[in-house]
Amino acid sequence: MKLKSSYIVVAVLSVIAIAFPAFLGAYPLNVARSIMTYMALAISWDMLLRSGQISFGIAGLFGLGSYASALAVLRGGMDPMLSIVFAAAFAGVMAYALGFAILRLRSMYFSITTLALMEIFRIVMHNLHDFSGGPEGVVLPSVIFKGASPALYWLCLAGLFLTIGVSWFFEKSKMHLALTAIRNDETSARSSGVNIFNYLLIAFVITSVLQGMMGAIQVQSYGFTTPDTAFDANFTLLPLAMALLGGIHSTIGPMAGAVLLGVASEWLKLKIPYGHLVVYGIIIILVILFMPQGLFGLARKARRERSKAGASHE
Amino acid sequence: MKKALLVIMIIALAVSAFAMGAKEATGTAPAGAAPIKIGATWPLADITGKQGSMAAQQAVDEINAAGGVLGRKLELIVVDDELKADKGAAAIEKLVTVDNVDLLIGGMASGVALGQIPVMKKYAKVVISTGAASYKVEEGLGAEADWYFHLHPWDYNQGQSYADGWEAIQKKFGNVKIQKIFLAYEEGAFGKASFDASKTLFGGRYTFDGAPFKSAAFGGGDYASVLEAAKKYGPDLFLWAGYDADALPMLEQAKAMKFNPGIYLGAPPGWPADFGKSPLAENVMLYGMWAPSINGVSPASKKFYDGFMAKYNTEPATYFAPLSYSAVYIAADAIKRAGSTDTAALIKALAATNYASPLGQTITFTPSNIIKHQGVKNQKILQWQKGRQEVIWPFESATAAPVYPFPAWK
Amino acid sequence: MANKRNAAIFAALIVAAVAGILVWRPTVIIYGLQAAGLYASIAIPMGLILGIVHIVNLAHGEFMMVAAYLTYMVCTALGIDPFVAMIPVALVTALVGFIVYKLTIRQALKAPELNQLILTFGLAISLTQLANLLFTSQTRKMSFGYVSASLSIGELSFGVYNFVFVAIAVLMVIGLRLFLTRTTAGKAALAVGQNPKGAAIVGIDVDKTYGLVFALATGMVGMMGAIFITRSSIFPAVGSPFTMKSFCLIAMAGIGNIPGILGASVLLGISENFLKAFRETRGWADIVFFVLIITVILGRSIKGKKA
Repeated sequence: MKLKSSYIVVAVLSVIAIAFPAFLGAYPLNVARSIMTYMALAISWDMLLRSGQISFGIAGLFGLGSYASALAVLRGGMDPMLSIVFAAAFAGVMAYALGFAILRLRSMYFSITTLALMEIFRIVMHNLHDFSGGPEGVVLPSVIFKGASPALYWLCLAGLFLTIGVSWFFEKSKMHLALTAIRNDETSARSSGVNIFNYLLIAFVITSVLQGMMGAIQVQSYGFTTPDTAFDANFTLLPLAMALLGGIHSTIGPMAGAVLLGVASEWLKLKIPYGHLVVYGIIIILVILFMPQGLFGLARKARRERSKAGASHE
Repeated sequence: MKKALLVIMIIALAVSAFAMGAKEATGTAPAGAAPIKIGATWPLADITGKQGSMAAQQAVDEINAAGGVLGRKLELIVVDDELKADKGAAAIEKLVTVDNVDLLIGGMASGVALGQIPVMKKYAKVVISTGAASYKVEEGLGAEADWYFHLHPWDYNQGQSYADGWEAIQKKFGNVKIQKIFLAYEEGAFGKASFDASKTLFGGRYTFDGAPFKSAAFGGGDYASVLEAAKKYGPDLFLWAGYDADALPMLEQAKAMKFNPGIYLGAPPGWPADFGKSPLAENVMLYGMWAPSINGVSPASKKFYDGFMAKYNTEPATYFAPLSYSAVYIAADAIKRAGSTDTAALIKALAATNYASPLGQTITFTPSNIIKHQGVKNQKILQWQKGRQEVIWPFESATAAPVYPFPAWK
Repeated sequence: MANKRNAAIFAALIVAAVAGILVWRPTVIIYGLQAAGLYASIAIPMGLILGIVHIVNLAHGEFMMVAAYLTYMVCTALGIDPFVAMIPVALVTALVGFIVYKLTIRQALKAPELNQLILTFGLAISLTQLANLLFTSQTRKMSFGYVSASLSIGELSFGVYNFVFVAIAVLMVIGLRLFLTRTTAGKAALAVGQNPKGAAIVGIDVDKTYGLVFALATGMVGMMGAIFITRSSIFPAVGSPFTMKSFCLIAMAGIGNIPGILGASVLLGISENFLKAFRETRGWADIVFFVLIITVILGRSIKGKKA
């Protein structure tokens, strides 16, 4: 029963999301795209986090995807849509190769290494002047779908849906048990027969594919990229903040966090032209202080308390 | 179930709050006396964009005080581009579709402009751009973009004007001799573009070399190795292309290394507060578009400067202020001549612009490499003398003669 | 044990490299050490917090920025030298650090460590943007003649002022070592850093120790901020790049290994300047930092597995 009703909600929500272009103008659609991009990154980051591995390399894979897609179109004459698939696969292959070395690291050392890798990607793109355009970046001959707002929105939405779908699959499948077991107690997970490394590698590759794909969608939607745009540290820090503010170890948490921060940032900007980022920073501080489990965690707690209260009344 | 409902509620609340905010910002005005709306994007957290937007507002207020344009008031709507391409693009979407602006002005960073161009192309509204120097932006625009009026010189325009300037200075002042030029450039897009442009333009006439450094603006600020390379090269003209954060530390380091070129010249987009007060600043040369000293030779500059000081009680620190001020006046003048804000008429009127700007020069629009409407094509060569930036070249707006060579370190 | 062997290998490598390069390109060593001094003296306070309070303080560079502006205001208003102003500024930043700790970080200590990370990220944004509102993004720099102090050996002239940072870094390491091993508060801090629960059981006030360490570290970074303005321009975003650099250096040294930060900085400073000395490799100087970090971390992990 419970399962069914939540399926209905999901279906309704998806239809609403798909139908947005019918009643929203170009500006909200543009903002929505940016929020959805961060949302997908936040969810994909959270997927790896469920194993306890904290990646600081989101921007690295995002940027790698951006460049793979842009250069495939520019240097290889690839079809833009195909280049998104190519970029996702490229990010996956890179993650697979790197994963063998870096997934053996734990905690902060893993985080630092992913961060360092991101910087290395950036510097390489920065220095390969003839191939990657150097610091000035690359400009594509045209934007995908001729820049039509609804089409760009749906493309981004498709990327987001795919991410959500994979994340839910992670939640419902054997992956969930395995990753949670690794996070909670690696030694006992190992002894109970979970092949830790394989699961980590799968999770790392899949999340990297998703991040690379979002990077490719971004670059095709804006028609250009530079090392500083593609590997912007904000693509690492904001998804992290969003996931935490929404509530980690879930799909819905990062989504809620992305909506909160994404809307807050755009809204504050219009209300307070000079100095809106001060308020933005304070919002992050306050949410972390007063909702340590995130928005979603707070909701979960409130519901638990209410059902407890309801039970005692009966 | 409840979980999902909660999320829906959050999203719904956020979206409706957002939609309300967007509407509120638009406001409603009676159709007859509706103001002419100018939409603008700048990075408001940066001194360039902040003062650019302030100067544009100053121009709007001045024009409105003088009766407005076509009997209508001007209204300036500024949205922060946050120095980010996606935010900048969203800002253009908002200005065009939500605020229904009649034309667009503004801009600073090329990286933001590149993200805005696809959106600008979609609507093909008139744009008077105050920034975006990279030739990549021009490539992105293409030859069809006749609605794009680019006030700021392209990087190659700047390079060309320096080549012209040094030629003219050497001809007029026989003691100035330049044979070897060394360019220290910040490793980002700005510096690299300067290097590429300079290499082609200086390459034949002079011997030219350069080396990159990491700007203090991005966590660098160690100039020892680049100055070492420059010193070894022994240039007559040492030029650095970086940011204001590099200005004094690089001088201090040059002094420590006893690096003493004939001309020491900087080309940052702005200078640090009180740079002129440092004893090291004396006789440093610079590239720029405007300095307060131009007040002495240009009434338009004086009017702008006095108005800015009176309104904000702070000195314009970058040329983005007079450039943005000019953008508003150019727009207002074109609307007046076109008799309407219709895009086709406006493009025609703008193309015929002839505006005596506070930059100390008259702005007209002529074709550049790709686009049809390029405004300013030259930069100025200036020199710090007694704490002030004095114009050396072009000679028609010169305020002082050059002090040459750069004095030896004491 | 593995740590000590690592350190020994490090030392041997550095000595060999230094000797070789000193003959070939003396400036690489000079400027490398100067850069190392700056890196280390900014990273060491962060290493202290990370080693004892176990918090990655993403607002680390921002505390330095706040101190730098404070020093700038004090020095321009009173006409004093930053080396004089650094003591009151360090005290004020220590107090600010303590208050920030009490108001925010302490509340998040029980939450997962990521919360503290994002909390300090929020702090970093707020501080940077507040400074931007108050001072705009236009940079400021005071001029001091001694910054251009020069030494000439034969043909070679170079700046010597930046060696000040080497001295500061070494003093910081020695000072911290004395504090952590000789004083009661320091010993308590060390115990808390190694095992907070155990320390609490033996009667150490963990919260008070955390507060003290946080204040001490922000005080140190405040002092660095004061001296930083002699060398560098200041602007709201001036601190943030140093946060990441510091974090990387600490990871390279190994968390809790404060003298190791010094070694890591020297290695990086010299390698960077080595690449910068040649035309072909100039543009790649940045990459050496990250390649070395990954190599060291991976190397240590493989070694750890074997041991």
